[in-house]
Amino acid sequence: MASVGEEAHVLSDGGALAQYAGILMVLPFLAMLLIIFLGKRMRYDGAEFAIGAMAINWLYAVALFVLNITQGVARDVQYEIGRIGMVGEHELVFELGWVVDGLSTMMFVVVTTVSLLVFIYAVGYMKGDVRVPNFFANLSLFAGSMLVLVAAPNLIQLIIGWEGVGVASYLLIGHYWEKHENSSAAMKAFYVNRTADVGLTLGTVILGITLGTFRFTEIFEAAEAHLPALTGVAVAAGLLIFFGAMGKSAQFPLHVWLPDAMAGPTPVSALMHAATMVTAGVYLVARMFPFYEDIAAEARTWILWIGAITLFVTGLLALVQNDIKRVLAYSTVSQLGYMMAALGAGGYTAGLFHLWTHAFFKALLFLGAGSVIHAVHSNYMSDMGGLRKSMPTTYRTFVLGALALAGIPPLAGFFSKDEILATFSHEGATLVMWLGIVAAFVTAFYTFRMVFLTFHGPYRGHGHPHESPRVMTVPLIALAVGAVAAGWVNIPGVFTGFHHWVENRSVFVAQEAATGFDLAALISGVIAGLAGILLAYLVFYPERKSQAERDRLEIPVLYPLLRRKYFLDDLYWYGVASPLKGPIARGVDWINTYVIDGIVNGVAGVSFFLGQFVYKGLDQRGIDGLIGGVSAAADAAGSSLRRLQSGRVQHYATGFVLGTLILVAAIAFFR
Amino acid sequence: MGFEIDYLALAPELILVGTIIAVLLLDLVLPRSAKYLTAILAVLGVSLSALPLLIMAVDGTTRSMFDDSYVVDIFALVLKGLFIVAGYLVLLMSVAYIEGDRYYQGEYYFLILCSLLGSLVMASSRDLIVLFIGLELTTAPLFMLAGWRKGDLKSNEASLKYYILGVLSTALMVYGMSLIYGLTGEVSFAGIAAAGGSPSIEGGETALGLAILLIMVGFGFKVSAVPFHAWAPDTYEGAPTPVTAYLSVNSKAAGFVGMLVILYLALPWASDYWAPALWIMAAASMTVGNLAALRQSNIVRLLAYSSIAQAGFMLVPFAAAAVAGADLAEAFSATVIYLVIYSIMNLGAFAVVIAGARKTGTGEIDGWAGLGTYDGRLGVLAAVFFFSLAGIPPLAGWFAKFVMFRSVMTAGGTSTVILAVIAAVNSVIALYYYARVIKAIWLDEAPAQVHADADRAHVPAGSLRLALLITSALTVLVGVYPTLASVFGDASRVLAAG
Amino acid sequence: MELFDQWGLTLVIFLPILGGLLLAAIPRSQEETIKRLGLLVTAGTFLLSLGLLVGFDFGSASEFQYEVNAPWITAINANYHVGIDGISLPLLILSTFITLLCVVYSWNHWEEPRNPKAFLILMLILETGMNGTFAALDLVLFFIFFEIVLLPMYFMIGIWGDKTVRKIPGFARETETRLYAAIKFFLFTLFGSAFMLLGFLALYFRSGVSQARTFDIPELIGIASNTPELFAGQFGWLVFGAMFLGFAVKVPMWPLHTWLPDAHTAAPTVGSVLLAAIMLKLGSYGFIRIALPVLPEAARDWAPAIAILAVIGIIYGSLACLAQTDMKRLIAFSSVGHMGFVMLGIASLTDIGINAAIIGMVAHGLITGLLFFLAGSMSHRYHTREMGRLGGNMKLMPILGGILAFTAFASLGLPGLAGFWGEFMSLLGAYNPASGLSLTVFRTAMVLGAIGTVLTAGYMLWMLQKVNLGEPKAEWNDHHFHDVDRFELAAWVPIIILIVIIGLYPRIVFAASTDAVIELVGNAFGSSPTAGLGGG
Repeated sequence: MASVGEEAHVLSDGGALAQYAGILMVLPFLAMLLIIFLGKRMRYDGAEFAIGAMAINWLYAVALFVLNITQGVARDVQYEIGRIGMVGEHELVFELGWVVDGLSTMMFVVVTTVSLLVFIYAVGYMKGDVRVPNFFANLSLFAGSMLVLVAAPNLIQLIIGWEGVGVASYLLIGHYWEKHENSSAAMKAFYVNRTADVGLTLGTVILGITLGTFRFTEIFEAAEAHLPALTGVAVAAGLLIFFGAMGKSAQFPLHVWLPDAMAGPTPVSALMHAATMVTAGVYLVARMFPFYEDIAAEARTWILWIGAITLFVTGLLALVQNDIKRVLAYSTVSQLGYMMAALGAGGYTAGLFHLWTHAFFKALLFLGAGSVIHAVHSNYMSDMGGLRKSMPTTYRTFVLGALALAGIPPLAGFFSKDEILATFSHEGATLVMWLGIVAAFVTAFYTFRMVFLTFHGPYRGHGHPHESPRVMTVPLIALAVGAVAAGWVNIPGVFTGFHHWVENRSVFVAQEAATGFDLAALISGVIAGLAGILLAYLVFYPERKSQAERDRLEIPVLYPLLRRKYFLDDLYWYGVASPLKGPIARGVDWINTYVIDGIVNGVAGVSFFLGQFVYKGLDQRGIDGLIGGVSAAADAAGSSLRRLQSGRVQHYATGFVLGTLILVAAIAFFR
Repeated sequence: MGFEIDYLALAPELILVGTIIAVLLLDLVLPRSAKYLTAILAVLGVSLSALPLLIMAVDGTTRSMFDDSYVVDIFALVLKGLFIVAGYLVLLMSVAYIEGDRYYQGEYYFLILCSLLGSLVMASSRDLIVLFIGLELTTAPLFMLAGWRKGDLKSNEASLKYYILGVLSTALMVYGMSLIYGLTGEVSFAGIAAAGGSPSIEGGETALGLAILLIMVGFGFKVSAVPFHAWAPDTYEGAPTPVTAYLSVNSKAAGFVGMLVILYLALPWASDYWAPALWIMAAASMTVGNLAALRQSNIVRLLAYSSIAQAGFMLVPFAAAAVAGADLAEAFSATVIYLVIYSIMNLGAFAVVIAGARKTGTGEIDGWAGLGTYDGRLGVLAAVFFFSLAGIPPLAGWFAKFVMFRSVMTAGGTSTVILAVIAAVNSVIALYYYARVIKAIWLDEAPAQVHADADRAHVPAGSLRLALLITSALTVLVGVYPTLASVFGDASRVLAAG
Repeated sequence: MELFDQWGLTLVIFLPILGGLLLAAIPRSQEETIKRLGLLVTAGTFLLSLGLLVGFDFGSASEFQYEVNAPWITAINANYHVGIDGISLPLLILSTFITLLCVVYSWNHWEEPRNPKAFLILMLILETGMNGTFAALDLVLFFIFFEIVLLPMYFMIGIWGDKTVRKIPGFARETETRLYAAIKFFLFTLFGSAFMLLGFLALYFRSGVSQARTFDIPELIGIASNTPELFAGQFGWLVFGAMFLGFAVKVPMWPLHTWLPDAHTAAPTVGSVLLAAIMLKLGSYGFIRIALPVLPEAARDWAPAIAILAVIGIIYGSLACLAQTDMKRLIAFSSVGHMGFVMLGIASLTDIGINAAIIGMVAHGLITGLLFFLAGSMSHRYHTREMGRLGGNMKLMPILGGILAFTAFASLGLPGLAGFWGEFMSLLGAYNPASGLSLTVFRTAMVLGAIGTVLTAGYMLWMLQKVNLGEPKAEWNDHHFHDVDRFELAAWVPIIILIVIIGLYPRIVFAASTDAVIELVGNAFGSSPTAGLGGG
């Protein structure tokens, strides 16, 4: 693998435009505050703030993108927010700021574009919803946090953005929190991510303490210099950080939260759980690429295989879903698997390229699905069918998206998927490549199963579905354009602009891209896609097959396995969550009340008992007892005068003698 | 040298004697309705007797008479001061209380003053005989005072018990003293100290041991230390509350001073006889006193056991120092400081009990429930005194405990560390029952039907209010600025010098 | 300004109690005057403390400023020695700040039996105790202030506490929660501090070996660094143990924590707030101010034990939370977990770890304080804290629910809010503890602590789901709830703003603490032990 940091091109500092790029992060939060305080009073419940802010952001992002294309930018801006102590001779410092380079500008464009379109779409989709202002406030919170994450020049800020999008996702998945399962889905998402974040946090801790810095650039320089301190922990840190990425990017076996996340409104699914947030993990690995590239290369093997497993097994799950959004969700997971695997194989560009194209066509598919759901008021494909007549725009755009996803040339998905497959073969990961090709077949199959079940055959739902309003269709069309054209920015041998754009970084990333066609991969990929579509056509194109015949296809072992999602959810619930919540927690509480406090109260009780004994036993009666006196009579006696005559005093006197004896004993003992 | 009398030195005693005679005569002539004048006279006499003390304190020279068997040094002055102040406070508490049951007022004050005179004598005593006279003069009147409420069987029982056991202890003590005289041929402390370790003693090991033992027993009774405490609860409960206050402060203090002076000045060389005894008495008093106090439902009995426990705390420094063979001066000053602070807060506590008993009409703690809600001021005072007894900062009690622990830590050594830990644990237990009173007063709701002979409207007599004011003010001041109390400790160091 | 340097700090300490005396003079009937005066006094104290902040020389944050050293108890050479450095400054301001807000909140929230006069007087005494503890530089003085807080809190819990009668395990008859909790709190703390006092005295006498016996903390630190052997060995180990008892009870550290859930659950709202926000910090502050610098040797010996207990506290506290049905009790247990992170940071004996503890204390003070405010206001409205009966709070009281959600996220250590730094930095510290400490223990502790953050999220979100989300229970249908009133907002908004500011700009704490901590660690444990570039 070629060494990092060739002096190939000189990068500009981006001038004023990069200097003030921080605005990107600030505006959405501003919008959020405005919506919280003024939202209810606005005509569109504050959507105008969100959209306005995002529009400005989009222009700014495009400007930065162009800037990067034209002159190649790599710029770090960092402001200290706290000096916390010394690491060796280094001061360990927390900083906030932003980095403007090929990678971040590309992400800026993706995030702002999709966000803008989804925001607009949502105005239509959420019309008459219970709490629209909250919705747009949370969307803005998400957009802001996502940009904070993408712009992060150091791990600390990245973590801040990382958790920020996590919260936004929690809030938006649980948008309809009146229903228990929705809030549970939101919690599930947060828990899984939080668990993964343990990895990210610990990885950050290790790097921070080992290097005395959280800055990416300095980490990469250290990695490049093969600092002895670093080599020891690099792989561990790399794996831990990747574990964090596995959570956000829903890699197997931590993908379980994403399908449930579909409980959120469809625009949310499109924006966060397809196009942007879930790619944060991929972004993180890409951002850390100079680190993984060489010094932590061993970690990449894991990344490759986790990605490979994910792209294959989760694709299969999409086959058995009836909920259209869940089909797309599993497809998303599988596509993220492609990206991860590509990065794992060393295909920096390939991974990012697929992220880029996928953002467009998957957002498109989700919004299309949303438009359908909006029309038929159901997520289930069993309530759909034959919608191509009633919803022509949705249908056309949806099919475009589907073709792109299936990797049919010349649409976006084709180029990116091909580049990934090419990378696999180029890096000698042949097995993974064939997995990818099979998965491509599966992808095409479930995608068009979805298309046919939704848009063809008889309408199985209720009412008379009709096309969605313009405010929703226009974004569809816009995204469709992306789904078609996004791939043309990186055509091997023709125009590899994208490849160079994302290479521009302060620490230069030089993976020799899989340029030139890898014919085997290309052809087999396309064939797989076409075959998938064909099979779907044969099985699900309704005029040909009856439901009964389809059912016969349900393969004995595999089908139930897929139905139960490989029993992973059961494992997590019955194996981890419910024991913790139930027996273990109750056990701890029991220990608290009956063991620890038992001891505490026990001590109190004992001292009471001793008090009783000392007072009643020794102090008042003991002496009587000791000399076997007439105590019984004495106590029975009524008046205190008789008590007096009962010889109590003599008893006390004998007490004196007794005490004297004690002292004698004491002196004898001590001397 | 010789027998010329320094009248200034004897002025306090003489003034008291004068007052005593005056009270007696006045009591004969006064009509019943005007007997209260005796009270006023007594109070005046006591306050007057403080005057020469101040003069001598300013003067500051040590005065000694009768072959140094009667010495008035700073230490003596300080203790006399303490006794007089305490006596003065007790008188203040008594006035209204005794007026209440209308008989033998004159005699009451006569007896109290006699006892007070005894304690003054004792503070100056530097030989066995004077010590003994002082001590008995202090105790004897209390036998009668304990039974003051002669209509009340409890009171009779109290005085009778106190009398019988008192006499017994006295007898033992005298016997012990005479043995000491026999062994050393000396009565003056200095002489005995000098004779220590001389051949004549070598023989009488057992005799010496017995002598010391008997003396310890005698004093153990006076300070109501376990296992010689049995009389205290019954007597405290039976005696009129002001007398109980006097018992638990003046006579206890007198006992302590007597014991420590004789051990410190006369018998330091025999410390390996009395040190273990002290150690045991200290540990036992703290533990038994506190544990038994946990079970008390009557507030006076509770204070009785508390005072037993406090006696234990007071013994700790001396016991620790002696057992560890450390410098006794430190321990001595610690004990004196503790004594001073204890006297103030304990008197305050009893003053509260007197006032509270009238308000609630009962001495049962449960009967005091909700007192704070209908008499906040008294409730606050109760909190001040009881938490001070528990040693909670910033009330005077903490400093007493502090110096106690401090002197223990100075001593060092295993047995002392054990004692320190026992003391620490006990001070935690103690909090519980002191807090129990405050809980009843503040945290519990007032009972639905008021106790039969409760008088919630009752306003404590001016004299009692004055006593409360003085004690509470001192408790807080000393707590915040303990240097006020530590001067007593410094004063006691002159003994180490002299 | 000369005058202020002389008297400013003393005023901040004693103004409250003077105000309390003044209040005592006002008849109970004149409630308005009493409330106004209380507000005036606490506000004045807060402004004065801000004055201290303004005049504070951050350039020399490691030195004691506004120092006053006057003779107090000459007999034992204990002095009125006060002063603040970068470590105590944030906590002192936190104390005056929270107390002020408590008065504001109390304005129209008086627990039964209604008695604003007594309540405010106690609160003011409490504040003097807390401010004093953070400023004291003399062991005896520290001890006194440390103990002064006991009485007011005892009465707060005991008089205005939770009156529900319940069966206490191991007790014969059932008793009112408040009574049990009050005395339990009192006895626990007294037990600890009794041994702490013995430890102080031992130091006092040991210090006499080389010079005049002293209780003076800076002097003792000087001795520790000049003649380390003096406080080393078994002596140091025992003394540290004694202090540990005193401080660990207050923190509280597992297994000495059981007074906390009862005290918190029973205490009136303001009591819980003050208890959580400030009083718990007295313990951890004691470790940083006294135990570590004076007994560095012993600290090394004890550090692993403390780390283990701290981590047990983190995991145990979080798990216990999951079993609670009482909202307030859940929050109380969460304190056990959060203070676990603080103690883990301290145990690492590194500048980063101790810095973590300081910002952790401030953050926990703000966040958990706010949580208790919210819990109080909710039980004020629902007349129950049973989470089983709550639910759909978001629907009934959107603003209150929103603030609750925000605070819950802050409490689970969300990056970008105040709670994050303490937890994250204590992990930083634990990854590479002071040289000589077992890496195995501390790295295990680090991992477990990190897992603890997941559990924290676990119970916090679970609480939100039970309380905030879902449909309101039927029993509240014909029940009108008024959302937050203006006094609540006045008390809470400042906290919220501060949580966000510290979350995004922790420098406002580090500016004061970092140098002081580096100095402290440098003196006590040699230069920063973290490996850094080149090391392993």
